[in-house]
Amino acid sequence: MSATLALEDVAVYYGKRRALDGVSLTVEPGEIVTLLGANGSGKSTALRAISGLVRPARGRVVYEGRDITHAPADAIVAAGITHVPEGREIFPEFSVLENLLVGGHTAARRELGARAEAAFELFPVLRERRTQLAGTLSGGEQQMLAIGRALMARPRLLLLDEPSLGLAPMLASEIFRTIRRINEGGVAVLLVEQNARRALRLAARGYVLETGRVAVAGASRALADDPRVRSAYLGLGRAGR
Amino acid sequence: MTTAALIHVVVSGLATGSIYALMAIALVIIYNATRTLNFAQGEMLMISTFVGWAAWEALALPLVVVLLVAVAAAALLAWAIEWAVIRRAISATHFDVLIITLGLSLVLRAAAGLVWTHDQFPFPSFFDNRPLVLGPVRVAPVSLGIIGGSLGLMLALGALFRWTRLGRAMRAVAQNQRAARLMGISVERVYSASWVLAGVVGAIAGVLIAPVVFLSSSMGLVVINGFTAAVLGGFGSMPGAVVGGMLLGVLENLAPLWLPAGIKHSVPFLLMIAILMIRPSGVLGRARQRKV
Repeated sequence: MSATLALEDVAVYYGKRRALDGVSLTVEPGEIVTLLGANGSGKSTALRAISGLVRPARGRVVYEGRDITHAPADAIVAAGITHVPEGREIFPEFSVLENLLVGGHTAARRELGARAEAAFELFPVLRERRTQLAGTLSGGEQQMLAIGRALMARPRLLLLDEPSLGLAPMLASEIFRTIRRINEGGVAVLLVEQNARRALRLAARGYVLETGRVAVAGASRALADDPRVRSAYLGLGRAGR
Repeated sequence: MTTAALIHVVVSGLATGSIYALMAIALVIIYNATRTLNFAQGEMLMISTFVGWAAWEALALPLVVVLLVAVAAAALLAWAIEWAVIRRAISATHFDVLIITLGLSLVLRAAAGLVWTHDQFPFPSFFDNRPLVLGPVRVAPVSLGIIGGSLGLMLALGALFRWTRLGRAMRAVAQNQRAARLMGISVERVYSASWVLAGVVGAIAGVLIAPVVFLSSSMGLVVINGFTAAVLGGFGSMPGAVVGGMLLGVLENLAPLWLPAGIKHSVPFLLMIAILMIRPSGVLGRARQRKV
């Protein structure tokens, strides 16, 4: 069985600026993997390269043994990868329910009801707000909606970009618990997160990016003990270097 | 002026207003998907109406079939323009695309002139031209037909936007293209579908209005009133396009009653200038923040 996802030496440029410089990583079936790193280290770019929002200048993106490096974004969703972008990017002029339905764009119409129901079970508050315009939801509710919407396509790999950003600690904990539940349902997760401590508790393995390259990689426990990770991302040990 | 006469003027204003509204809707459909204005919208209407007329002339087809021929021609033309021209300019700015569509409108009009000359032709009507008499009120059946046909089409469009997968995808693209891509929506297919849908709306408007204004290579100029209607209602808003169109049609018909005759054709511009000064977001528009 091949890895769910493999990046092989992926490089991405925004104009002349190099955002990713030869990143290789894997996500095994059913695994949670986290991508850590400072702002601008290329975490979000890596997710965008996977979901087809940006095109690698070099390297390959392989999903379940299939090369999807040049596949259009809509085909990548249909293949089973969905991406919850940083900042949620819900559709503010759609109701909660319409946001979910559009998340099921690639699904058969008769599936939509059951899938929306599953999203409501995961996030009961969304059921209460289902006719409300999504733009009027709180930040935490919008994050739940963004995740629920991404699940409508029944992905086998979920890309999450900063799901706890801007949320109160309690809400962030709830989101993290939900991510674990989703994962227990068999969905592999690639998680980009500011809160390294939380991310390493949730994930089995992690990669630390620095200026577009993998600086450190390994099991979460090993990363949590790594002096460089501790000082740079966990706020432990000596600050700075 | 009697009430009966006033009703007549308002009804015929609503009829032309319906056509402006349909043109405005067609412009807004393309604008919402691609953020560009299609100046060739009027010429697309004109060509597809001519094609329907040519089929009627050659084969004496029933009018319903003529309508279908015009719709099919419009769909094909819009699809071809999007695929062959607009899509190639994918890296061009919105301004460049606007100039391209302006150029296209000139090319289409010249082409129509070559094929069908620049003369005016009578176009068959679905409706009787004897006035409908309701007590003192006389209204032209063609006016009621245009209003009814347009409202029917608007309701169908509303249902499409609200309840179909394509409609939802189009509205999603209008709000946030990148997020739409992440939902598995092919934004390119939505562009193409938007052009085709706008073309079809234009063709139906063309077949409805051609019996009144006659068929000619210059009938595409109605796009200007459509544009004004869209601005009036708040560019980007579908209900706004309908309200703007109706408002424009009625005011244009009423203006000559109190203002100097001949003012009629200036009404759209005067209205547009006024609305841009008083309420730039339009009657039903809201201030849109541009997303990157």
